[in-house]
Amino acid sequence: MRFLPSLPKSLVLVSALAAAGLAQAADIKIGVAAALTGGAAQYGVAIRNGFQLAADEINAQGGVNGNKIQLVVEDEQGKKEEGINVFKKLIFQDKVLMVFGPTLSNSMFAAGPVANGAKTVVFGTSVTASGITDIGPYVFRNSVMESDVLPVTVATATKHYKLKQVAVIYGNDDAFTKSGYDVFKKVLEDQKLPVTTTETYVKGDVDFKAQLTKIKATNPDAVICSCLAEEAANIMLQARGLGIKAPFIGGNGFNSPKLFEISKLAGEGTFVGSPWSNTNPAPANKAFVAAYVKKYNAEPNQFAAQAFDALHVAAAALHEVKLSGDLAADREALKNALPKATINGATGPFKFRAAVTKTGKPGGWDADQKPFIYVVKGGKFTAFEGK
Amino acid sequence: MEWFNDFWSTYSTLVFSVGVHALLALSIWLTLSCGLLSLANAAFMGIGAYVAALLTVNLDWSFGTVLLAGGIAPALVALIIGAPVLRLSGVYLAMATLAFGEVVRITVLNLEITGGPEGLNGIPLATEGWHIALILAITVYGLARLRRSKVGRAFEAIKEDEVAARLMGINVDRYKLLAFSLGAFIAGVAGALNAHFTFFISPREYGFENAVDILTMAVLGGTSSLIGPMLGSSILTLLPELLRSLQDFRSLVNGAVLVLVVLFLPKGLWESRRIKAFFKRLKGGQA
Repeated sequence: MRFLPSLPKSLVLVSALAAAGLAQAADIKIGVAAALTGGAAQYGVAIRNGFQLAADEINAQGGVNGNKIQLVVEDEQGKKEEGINVFKKLIFQDKVLMVFGPTLSNSMFAAGPVANGAKTVVFGTSVTASGITDIGPYVFRNSVMESDVLPVTVATATKHYKLKQVAVIYGNDDAFTKSGYDVFKKVLEDQKLPVTTTETYVKGDVDFKAQLTKIKATNPDAVICSCLAEEAANIMLQARGLGIKAPFIGGNGFNSPKLFEISKLAGEGTFVGSPWSNTNPAPANKAFVAAYVKKYNAEPNQFAAQAFDALHVAAAALHEVKLSGDLAADREALKNALPKATINGATGPFKFRAAVTKTGKPGGWDADQKPFIYVVKGGKFTAFEGK
Repeated sequence: MEWFNDFWSTYSTLVFSVGVHALLALSIWLTLSCGLLSLANAAFMGIGAYVAALLTVNLDWSFGTVLLAGGIAPALVALIIGAPVLRLSGVYLAMATLAFGEVVRITVLNLEITGGPEGLNGIPLATEGWHIALILAITVYGLARLRRSKVGRAFEAIKEDEVAARLMGINVDRYKLLAFSLGAFIAGVAGALNAHFTFFISPREYGFENAVDILTMAVLGGTSSLIGPMLGSSILTLLPELLRSLQDFRSLVNGAVLVLVVLFLPKGLWESRRIKAFFKRLKGGQA
């Protein structure tokens, strides 16, 4: 019984803390769920850095309509249950206006419905899987889907190399490489480019000579590769070792400067499409790269750039929203304002496009953005100047 | 009541996970109690999850029948593979069941209906708190009764000495198969419950890592009683959430706690004999 009297006191303390939180209502609380530990941490950390940089920049310029942006960052470890837990914490406990993240598409499939059900905007910056925006009208993303990038990549490479037939290799046990392959397959059918052979491997393989020997025998003009960077480097090196001279065409997994450092000259002439370019001379991108290098002393990547832009997109929408202090109404107002938001950011001009869902029900909003096409020259990404 | 609503809307998934993990830990406890080191429970969970999710999404069955199907499917698989696999013992059984897990994973990866490596999304939310609580209660009650029954004694005898048990007239093969299939049933139901509150399942959730996680839960808690596995699974589920405020050091502290427990309490956290001795000493001190 001696414990009981202390209980009301702690309740008073809690309510005092809650009141203190209300007192700073001028802050706009925005949740960020990113995989800061675990296998996807390499993306998650870059994403957090991108958001932090954008928030600092916006706040230094006086915030949005005088309100400062306050980021609440949580680690979701790239796991689906953690993704749900973090989303619930951000939405129901921290009472954020909207949530960014999670890092992986798998986590989004699990956590997205939570946010959509709570009528809170969820904004993915790195989730490319198809079907994400089918979750509901509160789901947004500025991650450009493979189905928008690959047609351009393949068409550009076909024109440049005058391709007549191609071989395909992909990892068939990974969500990312498999969905990339599905898109490639459709693109090749649409563009009527014959496939000589389709080879597969599984995650963790290091020897691709059997598949590459088969590819060599069919004599393709290019090799299309839906692979992650880890495997891609070995595939390129072993292909050159076997005497395959055809250039490579890659998906989003090739967007890694490391890949071409490792594969050295084996990757020469590779065509890659990306939503972001390190060397894009647009002033918004130059400013972003400079600020990122200054703050983190490291080169930014695509994930940081997309996160950076995402917060600016949200800020652009928030400019048009009059915050009432009623959370549910504000969340709804943001959801209605966001589709109209446009920016000219680090990844170029950006706007939303209503998603076409499989069920025909109203879905969320996808990115409407033009990809950059690179060709690898001297082990470096070089913007492709098409003629 | 408002604080409860707040708490529940934030942490309901976590509470659900605690319940589901408790079921999984109990499923492996059952096979361990018969002396079988089987690592197939993650695969059985996966079979249950996929069967249940596919039935809900494609055929729109009622949740009760879906859960039952999610338990029966892996139990049937366990009956079929059990006959040859259970002739092995010790680490050889562990290896064979791990290999079985890989077979299940790769099958799911290559099937069209399961969505392959991209997984199955858009599973409707059907699991509610009382479903898990009820199933967990039935499981705990059933297992507690089982322990004190003829079957439970037979499991115990097989665990202590298989040859002696056989000599006493216990049909060792049949009891092993029973433990294996019952474990598969519980794991399958756990998988079905899990699939219906996480909206999404993919083959990578039922691989080697999860098989080891399930075993860790049971071993951390201690396998000498039913409380051990439930304690172990609760701690392993809650600890990462409780340590959230440590941010970057979270995984480090989480790991350190586990190492310390294994170092100082090698028989698990809940060892009935040690806990009884502790209370006896406490009483002795007061007298």
